[in-house]
Amino acid sequence: MAEAVIMPRQGQSVETCIITKWYKEKGDPVEEGDLLFSYETDKAAFDEEAKVSGILLDRFFEEGDEVPVLETVAVIGREGEQVEEFKKSAPEKEPVEKEPEAEDVSGEQEKAPATQPPKPQASTPQTLEPQTSNLQTTISPRAKKLAEQKGVDYMKIKGTGPGGRIIERDILKVMEEQPHVTPLAREKMKKEDLAIPPEKARPHARVTSADLVEASAVAGGADGFTEVPLTRLRQLIADGMYRSLHESAQLTHHISADARKLLALRKKIKTLAEEGRLPNITLNDMVSYALIRALLQHPGINGHFLGDRVRLFNKVHLGFAVDTERGLLVPVVRDASLLTLEGLSIRMKELASACQTGSINPDLLAADQASFTLTNLGAFGIEYFTPVLNLPQIGILGVNTITPRPAQLEDGTFGFIPKIGLSLTYDHRAVDGAPASRFLQTLVQEIENFNPQVEGL
Amino acid sequence: MPKQLFIDPLKVRKPGKITFGEIPVNQYQKTLADEKENYSKEDLLEIYRDMVIIREFETMLNKIKTTNEYEGISYNHPGPAHLSIGQEAAAVGMAWLLDPHDYIFGSHRSHGEILAKGMSAIRKLQDNELLDTMQNYMDGVTLKVVEKDTHSGTRELALDFLLYGTLSEIFAKKTGFNKGLGGSMHAFFPPFGIYPNNAIVGGSGDIGVGAALYKKVNRKPGIVVVNIGDASMGCGPVWEGISFATMDQFKTLWDEPYRGGLPLIFNFMNNQYGMGGQTAGETMGYGILARVGAGVNPEMMHAERIDGYNPLAVIDAFRRKKKILEEKKGPVLLDTLTYRYSGHSPSDASTYRTKEELEAWMEQDSLKFFERELVKNNITTEGEIETLRKGVIERLVKILKWAVDDQISPRMDLVSHPDEIGDLMFSNGSVDKMEDREPEVLLPLEENPRVQQLKRKERFGLDKNGKPFSKVKTFQLRDGIFEAIIDRFYKDPTLVAYGEENRDWGGAFAVYRGLTESLPYHRLFNTTISEGAIVGTAIGYAMCGGRVIPEIMYCDFLGRAGDEVFNQMPKWQAMSGQVLKMPVVLRVSVGSKYGAQHSQDWTSLVAHIPGLKVVFPATPYDAKGLMNAALQGTDPVVFFESQRIYDIGEYFHEGGVPEGYYEIPIGQPDIKRKGRDITILSVGATLYRALEAADILAEKYDLSAEVIDARSLVPFDYTLVLESVKKTGRIVITGDASERGSYLKDMAQSVADLAFDDLDAPPVVVGSRNWITPAHELEDFFFPQPHWIIDAIHERILPLPGHTVQMDLTNDKLLELKRRGV
Repeated sequence: MAEAVIMPRQGQSVETCIITKWYKEKGDPVEEGDLLFSYETDKAAFDEEAKVSGILLDRFFEEGDEVPVLETVAVIGREGEQVEEFKKSAPEKEPVEKEPEAEDVSGEQEKAPATQPPKPQASTPQTLEPQTSNLQTTISPRAKKLAEQKGVDYMKIKGTGPGGRIIERDILKVMEEQPHVTPLAREKMKKEDLAIPPEKARPHARVTSADLVEASAVAGGADGFTEVPLTRLRQLIADGMYRSLHESAQLTHHISADARKLLALRKKIKTLAEEGRLPNITLNDMVSYALIRALLQHPGINGHFLGDRVRLFNKVHLGFAVDTERGLLVPVVRDASLLTLEGLSIRMKELASACQTGSINPDLLAADQASFTLTNLGAFGIEYFTPVLNLPQIGILGVNTITPRPAQLEDGTFGFIPKIGLSLTYDHRAVDGAPASRFLQTLVQEIENFNPQVEGL
Repeated sequence: MPKQLFIDPLKVRKPGKITFGEIPVNQYQKTLADEKENYSKEDLLEIYRDMVIIREFETMLNKIKTTNEYEGISYNHPGPAHLSIGQEAAAVGMAWLLDPHDYIFGSHRSHGEILAKGMSAIRKLQDNELLDTMQNYMDGVTLKVVEKDTHSGTRELALDFLLYGTLSEIFAKKTGFNKGLGGSMHAFFPPFGIYPNNAIVGGSGDIGVGAALYKKVNRKPGIVVVNIGDASMGCGPVWEGISFATMDQFKTLWDEPYRGGLPLIFNFMNNQYGMGGQTAGETMGYGILARVGAGVNPEMMHAERIDGYNPLAVIDAFRRKKKILEEKKGPVLLDTLTYRYSGHSPSDASTYRTKEELEAWMEQDSLKFFERELVKNNITTEGEIETLRKGVIERLVKILKWAVDDQISPRMDLVSHPDEIGDLMFSNGSVDKMEDREPEVLLPLEENPRVQQLKRKERFGLDKNGKPFSKVKTFQLRDGIFEAIIDRFYKDPTLVAYGEENRDWGGAFAVYRGLTESLPYHRLFNTTISEGAIVGTAIGYAMCGGRVIPEIMYCDFLGRAGDEVFNQMPKWQAMSGQVLKMPVVLRVSVGSKYGAQHSQDWTSLVAHIPGLKVVFPATPYDAKGLMNAALQGTDPVVFFESQRIYDIGEYFHEGGVPEGYYEIPIGQPDIKRKGRDITILSVGATLYRALEAADILAEKYDLSAEVIDARSLVPFDYTLVLESVKKTGRIVITGDASERGSYLKDMAQSVADLAFDDLDAPPVVVGSRNWITPAHELEDFFFPQPHWIIDAIHERILPLPGHTVQMDLTNDKLLELKRRGV
């Protein structure tokens, strides 16, 4: 009895996944546990292994196809078994996102509505002149949906609808003017640092994997640059960052805290950790722990700004920035204020590692899951920076490197003490400068009087 | 216009004069002693008891309304209670002789009549009939409450049932006679011959006539009594009802055994006030209401004023008038003089009458008068009377306790069952015939001349080359309607059709041509020019159990039947808790060519009213299928037909219009042309202009339009439209209704709401202008034209390369038009 290979559902918010690579061809023998294909959501990448042994009888989607979750992707069975019934449950070979095949190209063009901008009419010239969209770009819901699906940046498009509205045909036109890159070529470009050759970088050109050239060759060519298409994650980050700066009133306060206590504790922990008596609690874990304590005392910072109201959380759900190969990911420690220092440390390590391997649950990457975010560039020696808010959160704390700074010591003499830099970005729409500063003062006290109640410390 | 009636100029031009006979006024002057042999002691005591029960029932409601308390039981009743304290003798006298199968219709002030008729029916029905009725009515929910108490017999139980069913209905309880959906002004109970009261003054004035028509046409036993107030004599529908009921044709043209007057009494419960307006002396001019009968027909409607303060005088009158009805000499007009002590409603301070007047009438109070007579004639004693009164109060206290208790008498639970009222709006029945007997027809269907003629017609309108056949060869839209209707006439014996010029003329637009040959007069006839009564009588006919097709010759005349179409036809299924069905198919012909008062598409007006199904077919195939569905159903359907396309052939349905029977479900739109770039949704005859627009779009702009014919307005399944919009992303909605506030706008709103993310532009409505309809020669500037649709697409949806607009559809212009209200 042949069995269907289903596109798994990775988290409640995931509706479709893109197949990035097939490891088996149609007709290949497959052993249980063999790698079948890789796929990615908009936030993470995954591998799918065969759950049964047999022959890969058919594949219904190819690399680059966007596949709804729980859809049948392929069939494994014995030689000669029928796959028709599985095909029926799959859509009419019409994946959500699919590049038009070569044969289709001319037909597509004919079907598409007229694309040249209409000539102005004497009777109603104002409605016919295509208008450049500005910040108040008007776009029809249908065109917007299409643009987002196909990754077309509509902010720069001239709308040809009534009053300069961007309508479906405007997006279709842009799509037509870009070269058609086959799914395989697109994948290869990403993986192998290849690029579209200059002679193919024009409308309607068909770019296959064989056409691709070394990116450096293009960069060194006549134009002297390479255009690298954004990955989905990069696009997501770009959107998020742009939106954050565009839509909020954010500013940053800097302060530093005496880090002697932290450093002393860290030394102790290191020893205990080597003996296996404690997890390896890092400085970042400790700052996180202090941050959580400070947030609990300033509930006005621990929440979301929602336009007409703020949502303040009873607990702290701490997001923290993780640098991965694919880009920045921000997983969240749910109910972080309920965890001990050790518990927090362990959980943060787990999540960071899941981000690195791409196995993170996408639901834990959503900005609205965290009540506050922490980002740490201390390891790079950064002294001060202005973190960007993870909207709708009200605040984000940047943790900087520890530097010795001159100070009056307890005995009245002057000397240098190690100080850790802290940069708080907050949304001025939700919080004023004084309360934000008071929060930073509390945080400084929590760090300077750090007391994690850990047995053995 | 029947040819058998010769209008002889020599006769009608002769000089002469009209003489009137006498109209008796309060001629009954007998005493109780004179009547002793006509009534047993028990009869007289029951008459008295019935009056006491009504008086106390109304007094109880008055106390609850004004003090929130009766006999120590507190209750707040925010709803209406129009009381009839003072009118008891008139109510009991009216009902005393009526049989259960005699029907009464009432007004907003009918609690007394309901109870009187109910008690009369209880007296006449056998115990097993009573039990059967109570057990089966609404699955016995009302009975279950009153059954808990012990009763000395079935009649006692039935009396509690009547009082409780009425009171809990007034209090809007689910255990009431109409699930609490009728309330004080609409409570009724058909098994006892109590048909709807009506909160619209004079509302029963034409509906009751339809009930009498039903009894006559279907040869049912019994008479119909329409109890309406004296002030309703000023209402159009009452006059229309009287005109309809006294048409000569009943006595001149209808065949035996149908020949003769309607079994109907217009009983004006003349309490001498219409709210605060005094009818005699102030708001009317008749002096004595009975006078009106003299002007209506040579029989002067057997009009009479009777003393409604003496129950025996009223009974005497009903005995005599019933005989007149049995002799088929109806209808009868009674002016039953009475007086109400209570105000119009409990909030009425009676500023319009003096204390002296009130006291003078209380001095002659019917209960006091009858009580004195009973004691004087040794029928009863004052002691027994006191015992009776106490017993009535105890009974009402018991009933009231049940009715106010939300555990025993709950209201509809719309939290747990949010659709419970929605589910009652339509009965959605599928019934071949309303009664199982042989329909009366004059010849076999296949011998009908039009049926034979239709056999020779082209049932698909286009020839091999796609060219339309000549009109005379074509099976037309009017033929589709005809086939469905004649088919039903041969299936359903209760089906009748009437309206203006329906018989010999064949309907003003030849839809009924050939029907006259098949149908006797009583199944197809011409009426007075009374649109109100045409629809009102149909409502009464249907609620009694018949199926009926009334016709409004021009849509513009709908206003003349406003109350009937907006307040009566849509409401009664739900207001009765679906005790009543309303199989009325109201044919409405939408004109063109005839200017401002003969060319309006008012589909939107009826689509707005909850409780009506609304269809507007545009092809012969759809017209026949939808008419079949409408006639198979049990709901009121307003069936719009366009005069512009009565002669159109079938251009869409493969194989043409089937000869056999088929139904098109009401509510399903239909794709008339497939397309992928833009959707055009049309209502009614505008379909053909939408198709022309689609041709232009294809030829000049390389756009393929999908044209969907709405076919129905209510109900409407949006699935097809939404699928189309998902594909095209664009929609124009068009029809002949004036654009502002039209149903087209409602459809546009629904599409915007349900398909927002699929839309490439807002849904755009192309309706008629917000003007008067001008003369035919200027109509192209009023009704949507193909180029209007193109302009709207170009300006509001998808600018078309090379298109030159003819209309100004800019935002500024639209805003200006709205600002000016045109």
